Amino acid sequence: MIQVKNLSVHYPDTKVEALTDISLSLEKGDFVCVLGKSGAGKSTFIRCLNGLQKPTDGEILFDGKNIAAHNEEKLRKVRREAGMIFQHFSLVPRLSVMQNVLTGMFGYRSSFKNLIGWFTADELALAKRVISDVGLSEMAYRKVEQLSGGQKQRVGIARALAQQPKVLLGDEPVASLDPGTSNHIFTLLTEMHERLDLLTIINVHDIELAKRYATRILALKDGKLIFDGPPERFTNAEYRETYTADPQTAFFDAGI
Amino acid sequence: MWFKKSNFITLIIILILIYFSMRITEFDLSKFRDFRNMIDFLSQWWPMDFSQLPGMVEDTFETLAMAFLGSVFGLLIALPISFIAARNTAPSKSLFHFMRVALSFVRSIPEIVIGLILLTTLGLGPFPAVIAIMIHNVGVFGKLVSELIEAADPGPQEAMRAVGAKKWLANLFSILPQIWPNVLSQFFYRFEVAIRTSLILGFIGGGGIGQRLFNDFKTFQYSSVSLDVLIIMIMVIAIDFLASTIRNRVI
Repeated sequence: MIQVKNLSVHYPDTKVEALTDISLSLEKGDFVCVLGKSGAGKSTFIRCLNGLQKPTDGEILFDGKNIAAHNEEKLRKVRREAGMIFQHFSLVPRLSVMQNVLTGMFGYRSSFKNLIGWFTADELALAKRVISDVGLSEMAYRKVEQLSGGQKQRVGIARALAQQPKVLLGDEPVASLDPGTSNHIFTLLTEMHERLDLLTIINVHDIELAKRYATRILALKDGKLIFDGPPERFTNAEYRETYTADPQTAFFDAGI
Repeated sequence: MWFKKSNFITLIIILILIYFSMRITEFDLSKFRDFRNMIDFLSQWWPMDFSQLPGMVEDTFETLAMAFLGSVFGLLIALPISFIAARNTAPSKSLFHFMRVALSFVRSIPEIVIGLILLTTLGLGPFPAVIAIMIHNVGVFGKLVSELIEAADPGPQEAMRAVGAKKWLANLFSILPQIWPNVLSQFFYRFEVAIRTSLILGFIGGGGIGQRLFNDFKTFQYSSVSLDVLIIMIMVIAIDFLASTIRNRVI
């Protein structure tokens, strides 16, 4: 589904080497959790997969096509096949749950229809179905500001599902939620992952969640891939290696 | 504990500026000892002369219409321009800089100058005044709205790009709902300013209650002047009230 070859990203203005020479292959059916400290490159990695971040070096083959070489218009067609959910939900404020979910279909429709808000019966039915899949049918016409954090993330998931995606990306989707809600969100993600036969890639910093739900774990440290394997092989040794700071930088990491 | 040396230097600079500004503007409170003249003058405002009331009300609506058109058209033209003049949504860097300079150029021309220039082709009346208010408001709204766009939460913008929406559509849908209440309150403020501006433009023949006030003043009809002033005050307060009602409904 997605092949990553020698991927590197550096940010020229801060001279930070966010990712260094990452190579791996992600297949349909994988439920991947990406672990790592803040600043390890998890977010950059996820953003490369749908072209929100341009790689400095290397290739990303999405369905066999190298998206690193794509222009904005071709990237758009890749992005609409990859749903994405975010740490701060990134919903459009002042719009209802329904309206937010309908924006998930924008990539497939003409700009004119999007602008005037004309949707076919099939499209409206799809929106209603995904809203009911995430359990928000009763709140479909509420404005998103009125929802709780967990409900907001459900709207985020519904918006991603409205894209009828092949891939589901999550950038720390539970980092601002409490543990119980985080578990609910992960259960929902697993359910959707299995029902729709997706490739799911999610950044988390909670290792318990990753071990419980992932079928595969990636660990990043200082932009390098230091672990790639099934959750049962991610033991205490790997945990320590991923999360312990180097002596030189330990001082700065103490607060995290 | 609370003050630094630099605070005192700032204070001294401000005091020096106040002193020279007072010298330049001949600011001198002792001049008020002749305030009896003012009372004599104001006493002529009373009683009010209601004989011209229907004409005054008509002129008031003309003023409102001028201010409304000038600010609505100004906002409509400025909205698309603001997206070009905002750093985060501009199609290119050079277009962004060009728009910013163009907007501040438009803003730097006072309405009364635009009005005086337009008088030569459009003649007297409210139409040149509407155009003058509109042009100035394009400059003002362009700056205000583009700054709101730059301050908008980038999260929804990224999310809309991630669903594969076209860039302009993604920007529109993620930003406009966020900034809309602020745009609305800026609009009402500018509407209020436009009312005052159209009064001034009335002095150069722009029509409306402003022109009537000016004419009554020049012909010593002080009992009409007082009613003109009263009507203007009622109009401004009514608009202020209406604006806050509508704004509260939107939020």
